Amino acid sequence: MVSDTDLRAVTEFLYREARLADEARYAEWLELWTDDAVYWVPATTDPAADPARHLSHVYDNRARLETRVKLLQTGHRYSQEPPSSMRRLISNVEVTAGAGGEWIAGSNFLLAELAVQAGRELHWWAGRATHRVRRVNGALKMSGKTVVLVNAAEPLPNLAFLI
Amino acid sequence: MSRRPARVTAMPDPDAAASIDYKALVQDDRIHASLYTDPRIFAEEMERIFHRGWVFVGHASEVPHPGDFVTRHIGTEPVILVRNGDGETAVLVNRCTHRGTMLCPADRGHVRSFTCPYHGWTYDLGGALLGVPYPGGYARLDKAAHGLARAPRVADYRGFVFASLRPTGISLTEHLGAATRLIDRSCDLAPDGEVELSAGWVRHRCAGNWKMLPENDSDGYHLGFVHLALFRTVQMQYQRVVGPEHAIKAVVRDWGGGHIEIDWSPGYEGPFEWLGGASGPAVADFVAALERRDGPALARRRIVEGPAHALIFPNLFLGETNIAIVQPEAVDRCVHWHTPMFLKGAPELNGRLLRMAEAGMGPASFLMPEDLTIAGRNQLGLTARATPWLLLGRGLNRETVDPEGRTVSHVTDETTNRGFWRHLRAVMTES
Repeated sequence: MVSDTDLRAVTEFLYREARLADEARYAEWLELWTDDAVYWVPATTDPAADPARHLSHVYDNRARLETRVKLLQTGHRYSQEPPSSMRRLISNVEVTAGAGGEWIAGSNFLLAELAVQAGRELHWWAGRATHRVRRVNGALKMSGKTVVLVNAAEPLPNLAFLI
Repeated sequence: MSRRPARVTAMPDPDAAASIDYKALVQDDRIHASLYTDPRIFAEEMERIFHRGWVFVGHASEVPHPGDFVTRHIGTEPVILVRNGDGETAVLVNRCTHRGTMLCPADRGHVRSFTCPYHGWTYDLGGALLGVPYPGGYARLDKAAHGLARAPRVADYRGFVFASLRPTGISLTEHLGAATRLIDRSCDLAPDGEVELSAGWVRHRCAGNWKMLPENDSDGYHLGFVHLALFRTVQMQYQRVVGPEHAIKAVVRDWGGGHIEIDWSPGYEGPFEWLGGASGPAVADFVAALERRDGPALARRRIVEGPAHALIFPNLFLGETNIAIVQPEAVDRCVHWHTPMFLKGAPELNGRLLRMAEAGMGPASFLMPEDLTIAGRNQLGLTARATPWLLLGRGLNRETVDPEGRTVSHVTDETTNRGFWRHLRAVMTES
């Protein structure tokens, strides 16, 4: 059972995470992660997808996540230079208690991305995200984020921003 | 996802009916922008390069059992690669002969036969028409004349399946020529001598003409610029190709027939640099298996040199530890496919190859988004009419021909691009 207070705290965490990603605030976004981070964007909507056997769009541990962010911070990640203008809506939030004092938060998102790096093109991204969230020294952090795009298995344009 | 309409970017054309003069457009040291922007040229390329010549369709390991299929395109032609009951692979055109319905919308699957959802016409795994519902409506239906269209020629080299939609012409052996050695270089790294493509494909949308992908994949000049962010962030094998020009040892090689290569290996100083470094127990079984098969000297050469980085004309890219496909869609749009190249007999390496595939290729990777951003910018830049030529002469002053007849040059030279274009011009002008 998740209390209203916890539900609200986790939901606000999701909003904050989305806003930092939308605004290309890379260092602050990275701070939201624990050291045992797993950031996964499968290349299929099949729930049986196994990142140990199947190719993913993203399957980052902490080290690779840091590389991803550092690339964006060099100013030479031309696929995000300048960063896309983005806003995402988050809805259908469902929070359950997971193992080890973590909360599992499912949410739908709809993201408008204006890609400006080669021409101007508006891309719509949609899917369901699952966050694993826990308290670390009083602050909420995420140890996992899985993003299943509705078009995960289709040809995609650049996805170099933080989805 | 918004799909941009094909922009009208053809160069001024005083006489639309005139045939396109490819010898004027593709010169030895420069090429004309219309080659990337003219929809008529795109249509002719599809016809001459993709719908007549040999094209990579898929790998045997993707359809291991009878009834397994994957759907692909040969140029703009939708096809099904399927394994028949007799164990052979066939390439069928993905279109019901009755009313033109696409038979298989799925990317992959397993079937006993193909049944059209529109009126129930059913075909076997070789495309033969098995039956039509309510046959009384035909005085006499010649089933043999209404099977699925199929590629008249399908051939395989070490599991790589190629097809030609034309019944006659040069054989696959002639098409590949000496470039089979590039495929060998990758396959021979597998202890069982075969690669396996079982991880699934990721497809990456490119807002540029299809030729920009093979050209960029074989361009050793751009790395230190386009991929500067990555070079500044992590230590990686490609850093051996930045620094003073004279200190770079990697080379480019034109194998003829449009097959072109970047060979990093002259710059490698030890085993597994192509794998980002590896030693000890993680690769001990793998090395031992290669040594048992090839002896220590050849095994060492293989693990130092690594897999090929090469384009097999026109659409197969041996991207080191990845296999990639170039799929044209329209004059200003294409798709880059990739999957990790698993080495049969070395399952312990698969996890690493999978993570390398995600780092190197695909829309969220650390390399390809930059390449495809540049391709998109190229497509935009090429709309400029004031200067319609692209330069192709880099390295003409220093490239050499090796004893095997391959042209070789400094890795930053456009020897590969010239090899690609020379072959393209030959295909587009042959009678």
